[in-house]
Amino acid sequence: MWDFIWTNIIIAPMTNLLLWIYDFLGHGPHMFGLAIILFTILIKVITWPLNTSQVKGAQAMQELQNDKEWQDIQKKYAKDKEKLAQEQMRIYKERGINPFASCLPTLVQFPIIIGLYQSITRALSVTPFDMLKLARTIYPFQNVEGIIPLNSTFLWMDLGRPESIQILGFALPTLAIIVALTTYVQSKLTMPASSNPNDQSAQMTKMMSIYMPLMLGWFALNFASGIAVYFIISNLLGIAQYAATGRANWSNLLPGGNKKTSIKKK
Amino acid sequence: MNTKRMMLFILLALGAIFLSACSGQPLANNWPGLATDDEHAYLAAGSFVYAVDLESGKEVWRYPVEADSKLLFYANPVLTADGQLLIGSTGTEHPFISLDPATGKEKWAEHFTEGKGGWVAPPLVLNDTIYAPNADGFLYIIDMNGKETADPVELGGALWSAPSTDGSLLYVTSLDHYFHVIDPAIGELNDPVDLGGAAPSSPVVGNDGVYVGSFASTIEFIKSNGQHKALATTESWIWGSPFLDGETLYYADLDGKVYSLDLASGRQNWDTVQPDGPVVASLLVVGDQIYVGTEAGTLVALDRDGKTDWEKTVGGKIYTTPVISGDLILVAPYQAEFVLAAYDAAGKQAWTFVPEK
Repeated sequence: MWDFIWTNIIIAPMTNLLLWIYDFLGHGPHMFGLAIILFTILIKVITWPLNTSQVKGAQAMQELQNDKEWQDIQKKYAKDKEKLAQEQMRIYKERGINPFASCLPTLVQFPIIIGLYQSITRALSVTPFDMLKLARTIYPFQNVEGIIPLNSTFLWMDLGRPESIQILGFALPTLAIIVALTTYVQSKLTMPASSNPNDQSAQMTKMMSIYMPLMLGWFALNFASGIAVYFIISNLLGIAQYAATGRANWSNLLPGGNKKTSIKKK
Repeated sequence: MNTKRMMLFILLALGAIFLSACSGQPLANNWPGLATDDEHAYLAAGSFVYAVDLESGKEVWRYPVEADSKLLFYANPVLTADGQLLIGSTGTEHPFISLDPATGKEKWAEHFTEGKGGWVAPPLVLNDTIYAPNADGFLYIIDMNGKETADPVELGGALWSAPSTDGSLLYVTSLDHYFHVIDPAIGELNDPVDLGGAAPSSPVVGNDGVYVGSFASTIEFIKSNGQHKALATTESWIWGSPFLDGETLYYADLDGKVYSLDLASGRQNWDTVQPDGPVVASLLVVGDQIYVGTEAGTLVALDRDGKTDWEKTVGGKIYTTPVISGDLILVAPYQAEFVLAAYDAAGKQAWTFVPEK
């Protein structure tokens, strides 16, 4: 049941869209890579409002951590969790903050990432069983006999396999490094400044800015390089989107750059 | 806030687990490969190649003795006249291996492809030479001791099926839609023929040409000089090889329709014969019966008029072409409770084989 839903709601539309874009581009060498890039841009456009709300939500929650009233209720009701929760909800309500607003885009991203990974492996079909699953996935109106199997070459990569470049006898995983770097840059730019040494949120955000690049870099190192292309383009677009809001904290990229104080008195 | 961040961590961990679960490293598994001689069935099923006694259905040997995470087998093993069992790996390493069919001991194992492609297709042995198609698009030419005797022939697309031969020429289909005629002494003859769709199965050799099915949903007849014509069309992709029996060509498609084409008249011998599921495996014709394995896990025996003689629910999905040895029909279902089953000509199950852990 779950497999049926997952296949028909996530995998089939994604795979067919990828195949359609690939066919539209002329289905030659490098075109599946371009199809993934266009697909990523499309996903970014669709999730743009969600990402914007994530940025705003994270910013609002961060500012709340430095808010005098918020800090006061933390101290006042430190031993009464129920009352603390009630007060927190009151403040959320008064200031129009949705505490889960910054989680929603992440929730949306995961099915996309996992679905895209499965769509890429299915579309590239390295085994007969993958090919058979692909045949089951294609919508009747798609006329793809002429484009299957897909050409998995993109630049120097085979998009169906993990990427590396041989340099002086070593296999250098360039995409994994770029994924880790762009993820790091994105998370650092979006990390708001905090002056509160006990700010748990800031500490967690800092941890995330280390954990996420490592995890996505590990994905890129071990899985089909097509997913790494998605990560890189998604990160670059995320950086551009955040920069366009004028809130990018470029000083965070420098060592010791996160010193800015931004306590808002309410 | 803590709860929210923890939730994020859990989501990330779940994502890692999900991605790991669907990882292509090593390559995802596939349906098994099957071959037989008078005494044993040889089954390539994932981490192992098994020899199974045809009398009892018991395991005789397995290769390797302990699972090796770098090796994966699903091509049909091939027996040679000089007593070898040939099989290639599709795992993260791609040795091409010769085993002793009696003991399962390795005779030789060679790497020819520098890890570029797996051995999805079985090889063809002709005049003491092994012609081994690889997923990297090359046809490797090897002597019976595992040494390359000539440069591999580059054919372009991934090769998923064994070459066919008329005794002198090789006929090879490729996933890049092309059909190739190769003279072992000279190389490729003619320009390759565009089939209009990927061809994952072997051509079948007739009197003055070969018959090939493809994802273009057509059966093509091709002469060795490259002249070709479409004989028939189907409603869906053709995966398995056609079966030529006298003047009749049997084939099936992914819609599950089974066809019987009279080559003399060009007409179908029956209207619609459609068992209970898509047909990926090639058909097996023995005596007066046509055996069809379906994705629904049913083995169907049709008579020459397309009427069902009997059908047997095997379980799992039948993608591997059934093989016959003596009085037994061997079926290797995929994702079933057992990996191999033997039936007699009346459809009575003789035994099933489940490998011990």
